[in-house]
Amino acid sequence: MQAVELQNLSKIYPGGKQAVKQITLSLNQGEVFGFLGPNGAGKTTTVKLLNGMLIPSEGNCRVFNIDPVYEPEKVHAISGVVTEHAQMYDNLTGLENLIFYASIFGISSSESEKDANSLLKQLNLEEAKNRKLSSYSTGMRQRLSLARALIHHPRVLFLDEPTSGLDPESAQNVNRMIQLLAKNEGITVFLCTHQLRYAQEICTRYGLIEEGKLLVSGTLEELRAKILARITLCIRATKVPDMLSFKKIGDQQYEIDICSENEIPGIVRQIIESNGDIYAVSAKKPTLEDIYFALTSNAKEDLK
Amino acid sequence: MKSSMFAIIKKDFRGITANKRLFSAILIVPLILTIFLPSIFVFLIHFAPDDPDIQKLLQMIPLSIQYDSLELTIAGMIINYIMPIFFLMIPIMTASIMAASSFVGEKEKHTLETLLYCPLSVKQIFRSKVIASFLLSMMVSLISFFSMIIILETEIFFLMGSLLIPSISWIIILLLVSPAIALIAVTLIVRGSAKAQSVEESQQGAIFLIIPVVLLIIGQFTGLLLLSSWILLILGVFCAILAWILLKKSMGRFTYEMLLK
Ligand SMILES: Nc1ncnc2c1ncn2[C@@H]1O[C@H](COP(=O)(O)OP(=O)(O)OP(=O)(O)O)[C@@H](O)[C@H]1O
Ligand SMILES: [Mg+2]
Repeated sequence: MQAVELQNLSKIYPGGKQAVKQITLSLNQGEVFGFLGPNGAGKTTTVKLLNGMLIPSEGNCRVFNIDPVYEPEKVHAISGVVTEHAQMYDNLTGLENLIFYASIFGISSSESEKDANSLLKQLNLEEAKNRKLSSYSTGMRQRLSLARALIHHPRVLFLDEPTSGLDPESAQNVNRMIQLLAKNEGITVFLCTHQLRYAQEICTRYGLIEEGKLLVSGTLEELRAKILARITLCIRATKVPDMLSFKKIGDQQYEIDICSENEIPGIVRQIIESNGDIYAVSAKKPTLEDIYFALTSNAKEDLK
Repeated sequence: MKSSMFAIIKKDFRGITANKRLFSAILIVPLILTIFLPSIFVFLIHFAPDDPDIQKLLQMIPLSIQYDSLELTIAGMIINYIMPIFFLMIPIMTASIMAASSFVGEKEKHTLETLLYCPLSVKQIFRSKVIASFLLSMMVSLISFFSMIIILETEIFFLMGSLLIPSISWIIILLLVSPAIALIAVTLIVRGSAKAQSVEESQQGAIFLIIPVVLLIIGQFTGLLLLSSWILLILGVFCAILAWILLKKSMGRFTYEMLLK
């Protein structure tokens, strides 16, 4: 069974704005899926559709084979959601908030208190746990939201920009936690984010969405193949033969675009044969960021 | 009832009682209306019975409800014919404040969205909110009633040397009219709250409920409308039916999409 499935999913808002256009997509269990796209692409709308907060205009979606249109409560029972707008109560402390949400999920306070404390510890909120939320900073609230989404041991996590307000250290900590949850507990993660570098570290697969349309989806390697990405080979060496058509970018620094890693030994051999000294060789593959820009600009050209 | 609904009700109660300013406003206004105001009257008729206004008032009292002393008659009139009106206003006020802060307040502070992501249907959330507001308004009504009876009876006993038995209408008011009106107010406000964007906006809606009651009060004071127990009972049954219909109709109306707007 697929953890999350979208079939030809579309949403037109009452004003006539089509925010999601016929997206078909599926997530395996334990996958960390990075849902990427510029502002207004339709990421939040997709998360809301998957949770039954919005009714699709066309197509359907399922979370562990439950349709959120007909049984939203069942979807909610197995999923944890973090969005920018899902806030908690200012007049309760961090710990009290977690215990309250656990109780709504039918977990008794004696049971949830232990889990709440361990989540608070993992998210570095231990000192703040007995303080009212009104004294929390944005980043603390955001981390508490993640704890709230995890308090009932969900099978799927929907995270809409969970690290956007976090400092680099907390963001890294949260990302590591998400990665471990997927690896050790088999939780499926649907992650909407703009932070491509973090996404590349933790996601196993990606989907790129722009103006409601899913441009591509797949693993990093699959995406690289899609954009016919070239590898950039950087070499620091002396006496590089001119026939190799390297671009000189600094003192003893050279760069060339190649199609495959198989070309590297040949190039290195040629430099050595012409008595060059090699100090460093590195092959740079396109990053997620490179792919993102390549694809989103491609799409723009297609539209023209 | 599901334990998750109970958790919401408990949290809403805590939210109101923890907010000292709001909670004291909820309690103080009813207590002024039901203790302070009638006490002034009781003292006034005891110490200044010759006042021309009071004499005028006396002439309007039907003979059927007169007690053996003039003072007691007037005190009885206050307890049994004027005070009940306040018990129509108190539940409306309390329920409005609670419903507005517990529903629209959640919307304003973006906590409603978080609740919607929990395994509760919109109906269950709606029902929990209605129950919480209803219980609070009943609690305030009953607290007001018992403190009023204790204090007024004590005053009357020491000033006039006798106790007054509250009339049978009180049972109808406390157990039927007052709860039914509270339920109507809560339902209307919670329903209106789905659209309202701020607490103020939804509390303004409550004013339309208070106006008819205020008109009734004026009627009572000028002696135009002297409610008999029977009229009261009919009114109560009518309100209860109306409350039930409203509640049923509102429950089915909500969708997540409406609430998140
Ligand atoms: N309630 C609404 N009514 C009408 N249009 C809406 C509504 N919510 C969102 N939209 C529109 O739908 C489109 C997609 O919005 P959405 O919030 O899904 O984008 P997003 O990918 O989450 O963007 P961001 O990265 O800025 O969070 C946008 O053009 C937005 O203007
Ligand atoms: Mg968004």
